[in-house]
Amino acid sequence: MSGLTWHYVFKFVITGDAAVGKSSLLVRLTDQRFLANPDPTLGVEFGSKLITIPGEDKIVKLQCWDTAGTESFRSITRSYYRGAAGCLLVYDVTSRKSFLNARTWLADVREHADPHVTCILVGNKVDLVEEPDGGGTPVLTSISAPGKHRRQVTKEEGESWAREEGLLFVEASAKSGQNVEEAFVRAACDILAKIRQGVFDDNRSPGVKLSKASSTNLVLEQEGSGRTCCF
Amino acid sequence: MEFLSQTYVALRGPTGTPQTPEDTIGRLSDRLSPATLLADRRAAVLALKGLVRDWKQDVGDRALPGLLDVLSNDAEVDADIGKAVLETLNLLCDVEDTTPNSKELGLKHTNQVLANEKAVNTLFALLGYMAFYTRFASLQLISALLQNRRQVVQSYFLKSSAGPASVIAVLEDKREIIRNEAISMVQLLMLQSSDIQKVLAFEGAFEKLFNIVTQEGGIDGGIVAQGALSCVDTLLRFNSSNQSYFRETTFPQALCSLLFFPWKISDKDPAPQDFALQFWDEQKATNAALLLEIMGILVGSKGGNVQEIYTFTRCLTELGLASNAPTKLKSTALRLIPPNITVPLSEMTITPYLPVPETNGEEWDRLEPASALEVIVELALHGEFNGSDGGKQTKNSLELRTAAVAVFENFVRKEEIKLGILQALLPPEDDTEPPPTPPLIYALANTPSTTSALDPAVVLTTHIASILFSHLVRLSPQAKSLARAIKPALQPSEGSGLFVPADGTPTVPAPAADLDEDEPPQTLLQALSENLSLALLSRSRENVTVKESREWDRLVVGYLTLLSQWLWEDPGSVRDFLDAGGMSVLVEQINQVSEDDTLVPALCVYLLGICYEFNQEPGEITRTTLAPILNRLGVDTLVGRMLRIRDDDRFKSIGPDSIVLLYSGPVPSTGRKSDVNDKAEVWFDWAFVDFWKSNYYTIQRGFSTEPDQQSASTGQNVETSMLISSLRDVIQKQAQEIANLQQQLKQTSKTSGNEAALRDQVATLSSQLSAAEEKRKGVEKEQEDLLVLLDEMAVKRRGYKSQLREAGLDVSEDEEDDDADDE
Repeated sequence: MSGLTWHYVFKFVITGDAAVGKSSLLVRLTDQRFLANPDPTLGVEFGSKLITIPGEDKIVKLQCWDTAGTESFRSITRSYYRGAAGCLLVYDVTSRKSFLNARTWLADVREHADPHVTCILVGNKVDLVEEPDGGGTPVLTSISAPGKHRRQVTKEEGESWAREEGLLFVEASAKSGQNVEEAFVRAACDILAKIRQGVFDDNRSPGVKLSKASSTNLVLEQEGSGRTCCF
Repeated sequence: MEFLSQTYVALRGPTGTPQTPEDTIGRLSDRLSPATLLADRRAAVLALKGLVRDWKQDVGDRALPGLLDVLSNDAEVDADIGKAVLETLNLLCDVEDTTPNSKELGLKHTNQVLANEKAVNTLFALLGYMAFYTRFASLQLISALLQNRRQVVQSYFLKSSAGPASVIAVLEDKREIIRNEAISMVQLLMLQSSDIQKVLAFEGAFEKLFNIVTQEGGIDGGIVAQGALSCVDTLLRFNSSNQSYFRETTFPQALCSLLFFPWKISDKDPAPQDFALQFWDEQKATNAALLLEIMGILVGSKGGNVQEIYTFTRCLTELGLASNAPTKLKSTALRLIPPNITVPLSEMTITPYLPVPETNGEEWDRLEPASALEVIVELALHGEFNGSDGGKQTKNSLELRTAAVAVFENFVRKEEIKLGILQALLPPEDDTEPPPTPPLIYALANTPSTTSALDPAVVLTTHIASILFSHLVRLSPQAKSLARAIKPALQPSEGSGLFVPADGTPTVPAPAADLDEDEPPQTLLQALSENLSLALLSRSRENVTVKESREWDRLVVGYLTLLSQWLWEDPGSVRDFLDAGGMSVLVEQINQVSEDDTLVPALCVYLLGICYEFNQEPGEITRTTLAPILNRLGVDTLVGRMLRIRDDDRFKSIGPDSIVLLYSGPVPSTGRKSDVNDKAEVWFDWAFVDFWKSNYYTIQRGFSTEPDQQSASTGQNVETSMLISSLRDVIQKQAQEIANLQQQLKQTSKTSGNEAALRDQVATLSSQLSAAEEKRKGVEKEQEDLLVLLDEMAVKRRGYKSQLREAGLDVSEDEEDDDADDE
């Protein structure tokens, strides 16, 4: 069979405050649609997607565990950090609180995850704030959007905190699809680079796996099939 | 030895006076405090452990807090004290030992251990240590706690950071005892907790569990493989997140290869013999059943891809129809084929096997390949292995046959498939050589033998055939009208008549000899009503034994259920049935009812009600002729008889998943008891019971409707009648429109006739024209020639003239002028 459809499997977790759009990001990635009014995630949900790493000719299967942001599930979601190779730390650009809380989420990840885990900070919901074209400095006090849809975290702020903590950074929108795949691809690129440097020891790290083509698991089982009766 | 002497001292006490156990336990408990030496604490724990058996309550009351401290402080450090304290706690939490109040005490101690998450965290941490007894006893204690207070342990587990990883680690333990204990603990741990199931799947539980199965030798792997597979089952069942994760992995393929079934197989490829013929024992069948259940989860839930669904359905079908698997496993396989079956069974080719007689199942004959649909019908009609055990009606064999019926029912749920099958059953247009009667039709139309004793196997075949045929016609007007046209040419194709010719290639060439050439061939509906009347007569004959009369009843039930579902809402079929004399048969039966006979009369009334209700086509017997008969029988009596079926166990105990009943008939005095115990029977299927319940009220009301009134069912639905009237309007409009259009068409065709005449004229004219043109051209050419000739003549003449002049002859003047002009 043509089983070799990917070269690597990476486990990702998506984490961050409740209602910042983690599930929507995952659904946008896997189904290319916008999940309009999702119910809060209970525990974790699974989704996966094949992506091609540009310029490397490598196909990577992303296995993503979308975790609940609600506090009551925090202890459950912690269990998932340990086995992940990549982590999407999500906040909502219209909610300063979610950005501040990202610090505690990061602390959680740092505490429980593999030390080499690749983290990307994702500022979600940029579709809600009107960015001037050409990427000019957004004005915090902008009154272009009414009330709650004001940007509360500037791009610069996010960028600089990410730099401090050694995280990748991107601003994205699950609604428009802007930068969503980009976020995953950038994280995957980073993991691939780490693999090349030998940081992840291919199969020994829980979050990274070489394609099954190199494993002899199934072949062995077929060889063992001589146990039937031959009449 | 040291601890023995210390214990002895503790027990004896310093003074040597006899002690109460309370004192001793109290003293030992004091020694558990961290202030004492480790060796002392160890001795105290061991001593307490010895005392638990007889003084469970006291030890629990006094020593439990101390023991829990020892657990969290010392167990990691010292394997011996760890083992001792774990075993002591295990005894304290045991709810099933022999001490009085063991249950209450065990639960009480469990609650104390679980008062906070500390003990559970310690236990899961202890799983991370390699020491044999530490791991083993921790597993046992966790299992015990789970058994007593599962939800508490589960919530602690989800919060403990080390939990998932250490649980996965013990699943990898090479020591068999630990691994086996781990499997049973994991089963308890993730029960009804989708969060734990997900965490474990994330941590790699599928990999570890499948490794265990493979190491143990696949489905031959005994009870350990069974445990691992049932863990996989629990991880997947009701957990869509884990299902989609599982589909991402290679394990779906592993499921197939564990059964030796290929992952990629085309419709026409036969299944490998390695798969079809295997050595089976009970444990292997249990393991295989678990494997099939897992396939069933994947194939029955949303989100599977086409390849996966096809392969699993094929695998289930092959195992159920064409393998040497135990009967029970085959039923499991067939039952797991999902109700919304999308794989075309008629196009799937499978190769059934047949055991060679007298070889004790060690040699098998391969039969001709056939379509899965044929084999399913064959299995339903005649039982396993082409009816070689048709006479044996055990629970297992009936379960298998009804499972085949269920697959058939699900498959023909689509209207076009129903109609396709019925189309294939119709007599060929050019009735030169009637094909052999398909076994399904043969079983229905074949006249039951009244001379020799009734063969239960034949009765069962006919009964199942009536269920199968009901699935084809139920609630489909089109299917019913097709079915009315079926004319079974009764070729005795018994024994060898294998398959329905749904694929158009009958396997058995039967002698084509119509026994009764003079009469037009009977329709199936006529044959059914004749058989019904015969069976009704036979059941009430004087010399019939109780047992035999029960078989006749079964036959009658088969015919009546089929006819009820066929005639429902189909006036045409009602007409056919009444014309075949069905009415008098029913009425006679209803008339001579006895007290303990409920089933058959009830069904007769039901069918009579349908005949009255849907008697809407003109004919010999109309509603007006029926009404007085109903009145004479008494409407109330009729309704009462009809409803009595609800009290009959054979009807009452039918559920969607259970239609095989244990034999409840008379026990033959000569029969051995074991025979009867194992015997089972089928009376109704759920579809009919459901049909009966949804429609009996309509019939009940119909009985009291006057013959000239609109029958209840047509008047009952305002929406339908409105729909009909609006459709009628539409039709009227359309008819008008059609008339208009036809008129227009006529006119147009008239004008188009003129056009043709004109066209002819144009053609003749143009040909005339071209002829004239030709002529003109000829004339023109002639003229030109003449001009040239003239010219030549003029030249010549001038020459002659000059010669004449030279000769002195006179030349006329006028001609000179002419010449000059010419020049």
